[in-house]
Amino acid sequence: MIDSAPIYLTLKLAFLTTIILFFISIPVARWLSQKKNIFKSISEVFVSLPLVLPPTVIGFYLLLAFSPANSFGKFLENHFDIRLAFSFGGLLIGSVIYSLPFMVHPILSGLSSLPASLQEASYSLGKTKTQTLFKVLLPNIKPSLLTGIVLTFAHTIGEFGVVLMIGGNIPGKTNVASIAVYDEVEAFNYHNANLYAAILVAISISILFLLYFSNRKLQEVKII
Amino acid sequence: MIHFSLQKKLHSADGFISLKADCEIENGAFISLYGPSGAGKTSLLRMLAGLLQPDFGIINVNGETWFDSQKKINIIPQQRLVGFVFQDYALFPNMNVEENISFALSKNDAKEIIGEMLEITGLSGLRNKKIQTLSGGQQQRVALARAIVRKPKLLLLDEPLSAIDNEMRLHLQEMLIKIHSHYNLTSILVSHDMREIVKLTSKTIHLVNGIVTEYQSPAKIFLNNSCEESFLKVIFLSSEKKGKEFKILALAGNQVITINCHEDDAKDLQKGNEVLVSYKGATAFLRKL
Amino acid sequence: MNRSFFALLISLFIIHGNPSFAQQKKIVVAVAANMQYCFKELKNEFEKTYPIRVDDVIGASGNLTRQIMQGAPFDIFISADTKYPATIFENHFALEKPKVYTRGVLVLWSANPALQLQNNLQFLLSDKIKKIALANPKIAPYGTAAVAVLKKYNLFDKLKNKLVFGESISQTSQFIASRNADIGFTAKAVVLSDEMKNKGKWIELNHDDYAPILQSAVLLKYGSENHSAEAQKFYEFLFSEKAKDIYKKYGYIN
Repeated sequence: MIDSAPIYLTLKLAFLTTIILFFISIPVARWLSQKKNIFKSISEVFVSLPLVLPPTVIGFYLLLAFSPANSFGKFLENHFDIRLAFSFGGLLIGSVIYSLPFMVHPILSGLSSLPASLQEASYSLGKTKTQTLFKVLLPNIKPSLLTGIVLTFAHTIGEFGVVLMIGGNIPGKTNVASIAVYDEVEAFNYHNANLYAAILVAISISILFLLYFSNRKLQEVKII
Repeated sequence: MIHFSLQKKLHSADGFISLKADCEIENGAFISLYGPSGAGKTSLLRMLAGLLQPDFGIINVNGETWFDSQKKINIIPQQRLVGFVFQDYALFPNMNVEENISFALSKNDAKEIIGEMLEITGLSGLRNKKIQTLSGGQQQRVALARAIVRKPKLLLLDEPLSAIDNEMRLHLQEMLIKIHSHYNLTSILVSHDMREIVKLTSKTIHLVNGIVTEYQSPAKIFLNNSCEESFLKVIFLSSEKKGKEFKILALAGNQVITINCHEDDAKDLQKGNEVLVSYKGATAFLRKL
Repeated sequence: MNRSFFALLISLFIIHGNPSFAQQKKIVVAVAANMQYCFKELKNEFEKTYPIRVDDVIGASGNLTRQIMQGAPFDIFISADTKYPATIFENHFALEKPKVYTRGVLVLWSANPALQLQNNLQFLLSDKIKKIALANPKIAPYGTAAVAVLKKYNLFDKLKNKLVFGESISQTSQFIASRNADIGFTAKAVVLSDEMKNKGKWIELNHDDYAPILQSAVLLKYGSENHSAEAQKFYEFLFSEKAKDIYKKYGYIN
């Protein structure tokens, strides 16, 4: 029988990554959706970078950054006694960077598609930018929010390259399901590899169905 | 008294327009903003609302300075107490009629005002309806109620009735007049419709290419070359001959009328031509424009 | 249309016209990660004597074995253990039995200048050491050896929280070299290599504390069938005196 820890670890990583990214991405997307300037354009490029960078590159740079031989790693070690490589926390950071565009882009797209007059009306009625964001803008882009959440979750489930570089394969902490599949194959345990793979596929398909049907329900309440 | 003197360089289809407007508006006045597309009417309205920043100038509303480029004062829209009715209504799709109207109210405000708004705009029966289910005319009324619920110092209407059919349009115009006087608002209406302007407003800012060319009563602005003879400008539709009688069918304003006249006058006329009809006594003379 | 056809024609001429391309024999050798440094010298030495070009593919023994059994076009496999080559032979991907060419040595290595290594491994329990790297014992022989050593000294269970597993000796060494792991178990050949020579300190572990890491090589079926003469020559070279000298230089035991 296979160890169920990798599955729980994968789900835990995906869940936490999604929550963190949801709260980070809303202000980021809001900021990017407003009037453009050169600084924002550059930021948009950086947000999209994880889309085109090979995950192993992201993992590699993280490994360098986390190393106590380099300034950032040294700072964390000396002041907080934290070592990020080979820890769940390090995976979480890698995961958040890796899946960032998958949450930001749908939300940004949703906000940009709203008519500008909507938030202007809210301002003219005395509501602040933040009040407008939560009472007017976000409630009207529910399909985009859902898309971002589901894409991020599903994308994190499949994360491999980043974890391979900075995970260290620690049972119960960093050996997520995608790594477990790889290891079982390496050890010629094809049966176990198949089991892990099948479970991951089942989870991914369920998520996609959830997205599809929820989106259809939300479409019934359209913008004028 | 509302006084503004504003300048802004605007982007237009052909390049730049330098908008320059300097006007005074009495409290309680209902004035209009008229001019060709792209003249800067909406931009001017947005500057008054605080949604667009002028390059230079001041806006003073009853002693309150809303904008002063020299003193670096620029009050944000949230604090200006304006009511703005957008061309696309900008109603909030996630809320129903009542929620849209009460959106601007804070917890401390009396709730009775909502009922009053619904009443005066004839929407009482629709208070719980989702706005997507409303007709254009109904949505327009919600937008209006929402804009005036806080008794704004300045009501700005950006072509609010342009997408409404004629009959509803007349109805809504009546409502605008009623509301304006009932709440003693100071309002600026942007409109392309000369009839609407003449009917509703007492003074018109005529904006052409960003410059205010006239600021006076609409009747005087729209009066075409005064003439000794009384005359009428119509659109020719068709002609009809019955025995010795010859008449044309024409569109005059909102109405289709018949005009008895000489067959010769109508010789070269084609459907759609603008025709000047002048009367000498009871006889009509046609002249193609 | 004409232009690209012309270009193709010209490149074909160049390829065929080039004497080294057409005539030089070439073999591909799959090399276990720990041998990669040593292999460079082996290759250079061999190529001095024979007009045969030797290309290498470096990887974890398990990884390479899987690829071979899926039909990868390698001529020879130099493994870090005896189990994987045996598997290859049993599955008929080699015509002859594998042979041991040398014996690997396990070392404990740290790139952290502040760390003092002691022969008594209990020092690994110290709080100063937060992460200890070793190769994944499921797939890398040096990992199995490291686990054996730790178990021998009753340290394996106590150190479980600090252990970090690399997918191969390469990745394990990288964890150690980058100091993300404070210390770790790797092959002696790694710490003696030019690249890693001056990075940190190391101690050799008692050979008796772990089962000998017998490293065997095997002539693959693909090699026998396609490059018989050349592959055979290199395979035999692996067991020559010259080769043994090179193994010794890199810390292996003959």
